[in-house]
Amino acid sequence: MRRSPGNPIEEFEELRQLLLSREREQLRELRDRIVDKERRSQDIAGVLPEAVKLSRERGEELAHALRPAVEGSIKESIDQRPQIFVDALHPIIGPIVRRSIAESLRRLLQSLNQTLEHTFSWRGLKWRFEALRTGKSFAEVVMLRSLVYRVEQLFLIHRKTSLSLLHVTSDPAMSKDSDMVAGMLSAIQDFARDSFEVGEDAALEEFRVGELQVWISPGRSAYLAAVIRGNPSRELRSTLEETIESIHVLKGSALAIFQGSAVIFEPLRPELEACLRAQYTTAKSDRRPTRLWVILGTAVAVAIFGLALAAQSKSKWKDFLGRLNAQPGLIVTDAQQGWLSSSQVSGLRDVSSPDPAALAREAKLDPARIRFHWKEYLALDPASVRRRFEQRFGVPNETRIALKDGVLTLSGSIPYEWLERVRREATLIPGVTSIADRAADIFYDQDLTRKRFEQQLGLLETVNAVVANGVLTLSGEASHRWLTRARTEAVKLPGITSVDDRAVIDLDQRAFEQSKSIIETAFVYFLTDKDDIATEGFAALSRLPDEIRRCEKAAKQLDMDVTLEIHGRADAVGSEARNVDLRQQRANKVRDFLVSCGFEPTRLKPIGMEQPFKPADADKAAPEQSERRVAFKIVTQPSIPSP
Amino acid sequence: MIQKKICLIGTSGVGKTSLVAKFVHSMFSDKYLTTVGVKIDKKTVSVDGAEVMLMIWDLAGDDDYQRLQTSYLRGTSGYLLVADGTRQITLDQAIEIQGRVVEAAGPLPFLLALNKADLVSQWEIDDARTDDLAARGCKSFKTSAKDGAGVEEAFVELGRMVTQSK
Repeated sequence: MRRSPGNPIEEFEELRQLLLSREREQLRELRDRIVDKERRSQDIAGVLPEAVKLSRERGEELAHALRPAVEGSIKESIDQRPQIFVDALHPIIGPIVRRSIAESLRRLLQSLNQTLEHTFSWRGLKWRFEALRTGKSFAEVVMLRSLVYRVEQLFLIHRKTSLSLLHVTSDPAMSKDSDMVAGMLSAIQDFARDSFEVGEDAALEEFRVGELQVWISPGRSAYLAAVIRGNPSRELRSTLEETIESIHVLKGSALAIFQGSAVIFEPLRPELEACLRAQYTTAKSDRRPTRLWVILGTAVAVAIFGLALAAQSKSKWKDFLGRLNAQPGLIVTDAQQGWLSSSQVSGLRDVSSPDPAALAREAKLDPARIRFHWKEYLALDPASVRRRFEQRFGVPNETRIALKDGVLTLSGSIPYEWLERVRREATLIPGVTSIADRAADIFYDQDLTRKRFEQQLGLLETVNAVVANGVLTLSGEASHRWLTRARTEAVKLPGITSVDDRAVIDLDQRAFEQSKSIIETAFVYFLTDKDDIATEGFAALSRLPDEIRRCEKAAKQLDMDVTLEIHGRADAVGSEARNVDLRQQRANKVRDFLVSCGFEPTRLKPIGMEQPFKPADADKAAPEQSERRVAFKIVTQPSIPSP
Repeated sequence: MIQKKICLIGTSGVGKTSLVAKFVHSMFSDKYLTTVGVKIDKKTVSVDGAEVMLMIWDLAGDDDYQRLQTSYLRGTSGYLLVADGTRQITLDQAIEIQGRVVEAAGPLPFLLALNKADLVSQWEIDDARTDDLAARGCKSFKTSAKDGAGVEEAFVELGRMVTQSK
């Protein structure tokens, strides 16, 4: 459409429309994009990733600016919806925690197993001896003898700056300055690279210094340097590589922008500590659980056995105390059972009571492990008194004793000697006031009875004495006095009721009889019709005084007095009157002779014997000489005791 | 604590090793310098109230027998360029070395330490030279390994520079 000329405003507007319509459209478009919130957000979303990237390259400003908002947002989310974070972190934290715990347990188990093995094994004892001998610590000897390898230190080193990011060690004593060591490790690597002109990415992977090796596991931004004693397995290399990779996954960005602050890498410590491994020659993995279980099983068995022993010991102890308390004369005031030390028992003890050590043995306890503290006392209960009596006197087999209210009653068959001693001494025992033995059936030991007889009378060598059933039978020869005493006194002795002395020859009686016979068969002949002694008569007369003395002596032993009748005789020749005188004269003649020999005249009785009959030779021219004689007769009478 | 790697650079005999000997924690002997070409020491300085641990790589002196091993410069946050104030030539050599460092490691914070400041009578470097260097961005300190003058200050300043550098 063409407009008519003349209106300049319109024309100007049309011209502006023609020239600027496109720009105006673009301006409107731009204004809409700025004003429209939705479109503006879309625009920012398109450039935001690139802007963040550029900002990171420029520095930490964006991070610092966002930190409060991000931290507040995270905190709010955790407060309100923690499950989201739990779900998000679980896949990461779970394995880390599990790995850390598993590694700690593995090391604990290994350490425990190794300690047990070294403690109880013969080799362990040998090593202890070696430690003593060389002055090294036991741990040092064990390590030297059994170590295959041990990762002693681990450095996480920033590759670019050579600074130590983290350092862990198996022994806190190894506290060499890790920062400088890390630096020198890097320097050595640089030195090696420069010296041999290898590529920038090439790395010194390992080197050995004495017993130590240093293994280096490189990563993109950092590397691990492990200081290892001994000869590690290749498996360790894989572990180190996995660890450095894991570290890069967890802290890759932090490593890339590391500016010198290593605090951020502290959470990686468990990862590194998991690499502080050790292997010992005896600690074979397949044996570890078995050995541990065996030891644990043994320990449990020992514990059960110990408990059983303790229960048994307790039961024995109880039994022992019961036995002690059941014994009269023993009063337990305190008892302590010692498990490792000696047991203690205190109380009162009567000396007559049973030996507590014996009671301990009866209860199957070792008395050597019990200390007794007894104070003596005098028990007056019947059992103790009876035991005291029995310990002092003993009790014969068939004798029965009873004690009540201090009265000791004896019954049954009781030996006389034992009874006598009891009668004398029983009341000396505390608790015994009197003895009743009426019911006792006393019996006498024959030998003891005979000894008693011997002690009482003195047994002659010529006499043999035997006691049987209360009869003392004597045999042999004895003086009349001893025999008389034996007869009278033996029956007074306990155990002898009668004396049989028929087999005993009374020596005094025999001597008397012999003398009497000699005297009474002696004749003193006279001359015919005279009172003169014939020659033959002198011989007989000369022997007579001695014999009379022997007779008197024997009669004295027999408690008799002797009178000698002197019988004068005459033959029938001559008158009777003459013969009567002659008989008396002849008797007197002999008496006079004996008196002259010292005999008592009162003991001599001269008698002119009557001629009761006419002798056969009376009418003979030469009558028999036998009628012209003096004969003798011993007359005895009991002697009168001297006043 | 922030850690920073710094290097000591200079020609032989300028006193690099002596400069730090009394002021750092050391566990390696000087023989490393002649064997590996580097010895690492540690020094903690306080920069604006914050502790900074400086890992000091003392590089073997650059001379006719041993060239600077630039690989040791990798990752360094800065360096102390050391020259002997009693020998003008060592300053020229230091400046030449600094150029090689920039080629190898890029522009990094650095300080120039003019050592042996105690030998005043033998001093060869005039103030005009140092002013000129300062004008060209090379800050310098006069240091003395003998009496310790300027040493601590130099390390603190370098620590500040490397921590502020991004």
